[in-house]
Amino acid sequence: MKVSLTFKNRALFWKFLDEFNFISSCKKYNLGLWQCPNFLFLIMTIITVIAMLTTNYIAQFYNDEAVTIFSVSGITVLIMTVGSFVIRGVEKIAEANIIKTEFISIISHQLCSPLSAIKWNLEIIETERDGEKRLSEKQLLFLGNIKKSNEKMLKLVNDLLEVVRIDQGRSVFVKENAYLEPIAREVVAELEYIRSFKNVKVDIEVEKDLPKVCIDSKKMKMAMENLIGNAIKYSKDGGEVKIILEKKGKNMQMTVKDYGVGIPKYQHNKIFEKFFRSNNVSKYRTEEVGLGLYLVKAILGNFDGEVWFESEMDKGSTFYVSLPAVKS
Amino acid sequence: MDDQVKKKILVVEDDRSLQNAIVEMLTNENYQAISALDGEEGLEKLKTEKPDLILLDIILPKKDGYEVLEEIKKGEQKNVPVLILTNLEEVENVQKALDLGATTFMVKSDFSLKDILGKIKENLK
Repeated sequence: MKVSLTFKNRALFWKFLDEFNFISSCKKYNLGLWQCPNFLFLIMTIITVIAMLTTNYIAQFYNDEAVTIFSVSGITVLIMTVGSFVIRGVEKIAEANIIKTEFISIISHQLCSPLSAIKWNLEIIETERDGEKRLSEKQLLFLGNIKKSNEKMLKLVNDLLEVVRIDQGRSVFVKENAYLEPIAREVVAELEYIRSFKNVKVDIEVEKDLPKVCIDSKKMKMAMENLIGNAIKYSKDGGEVKIILEKKGKNMQMTVKDYGVGIPKYQHNKIFEKFFRSNNVSKYRTEEVGLGLYLVKAILGNFDGEVWFESEMDKGSTFYVSLPAVKS
Repeated sequence: MDDQVKKKILVVEDDRSLQNAIVEMLTNENYQAISALDGEEGLEKLKTEKPDLILLDIILPKKDGYEVLEEIKKGEQKNVPVLILTNLEEVENVQKALDLGATTFMVKSDFSLKDILGKIKENLK
């Protein structure tokens, strides 16, 4: 215990020191030192302190009004100049952020058409009615593989686009009163291929006479796909996932529990951040991008809902979703 | 099924691989599929073929889906159901299409051909 605490404190100390490592911050933003707001802010602070001391010095030794006015004006101009550099640096970061968002949006939109074309053309092949042209079992198996890979790509692109839309306030939420159970069952059915691949047992426990909730079913499905999908993906082979739907006071609660890899405690506060992937999780699943839980939180926020979790390394994670129940 | 043979569906889509799949699906379901690769061709075929339903993309060459929709709603065939089929799912796109009189809005990446067929049947009743 003592060893781990010392390690934790040391890690925190280095993290604190790292906050002042302006060179690495500037590298992260891909900006030169004189364009980097962090560095310029430090320079501005130094100038301000020097200015205060100099003004105090001048006031003590020179009783000449013109000298005081001249020195204060000079320092003000200097601070304003550095300030304008800070603003330009911040603008540059903001601009880069806009370009990045637009880039993601354009690429994702461009990818949607070919991916949809693959999906629909596969559907045509699958539903071939001509007996002679029917595919063999083996061909169907490979066709199934293409379909799964395509679905994976479509999900990634759709998640990326949804993140951009939510961030820009351009996402469509068509709310209606609906039950959570059919959505949960649909999601579990769609995740069957991952479940069977890992031989994970998925149990759905539903309390009787549950109320409806006010949601956009499509977006709720997206959130559930991420929560239930994660629970299955990060379960150990042959493991178990429990989904519980119940009423808690005035709210509907959904619990998704797995007994998988868990999330390290020191990363708990980052779990809902965009593009965040926990260290141990990235060892198990290399193809994920870390948008799922960010989306879950953003989507639930639109329904006045909440999401939180408990997790322990190598013991598993439990995610809770709470939504206001609709009065019947 | 005989009733369906008479139904004409105009597919305005500039991506040939998407259009081929839709046309094939419609033909398999005994609809008469007419295709157009740009907005202007779509409007021409609307006049000559008089379809019972239109599947319309938004990003199109020559005239985009909004312009086509606007002209449809101003013309004689303003009551023909127009089903938007696009990948632009942003709120302003959905709102604009619905304000211009689109019957429904479908996102290509979310919809299977079976789902699209369901919407077509629903709107041809």
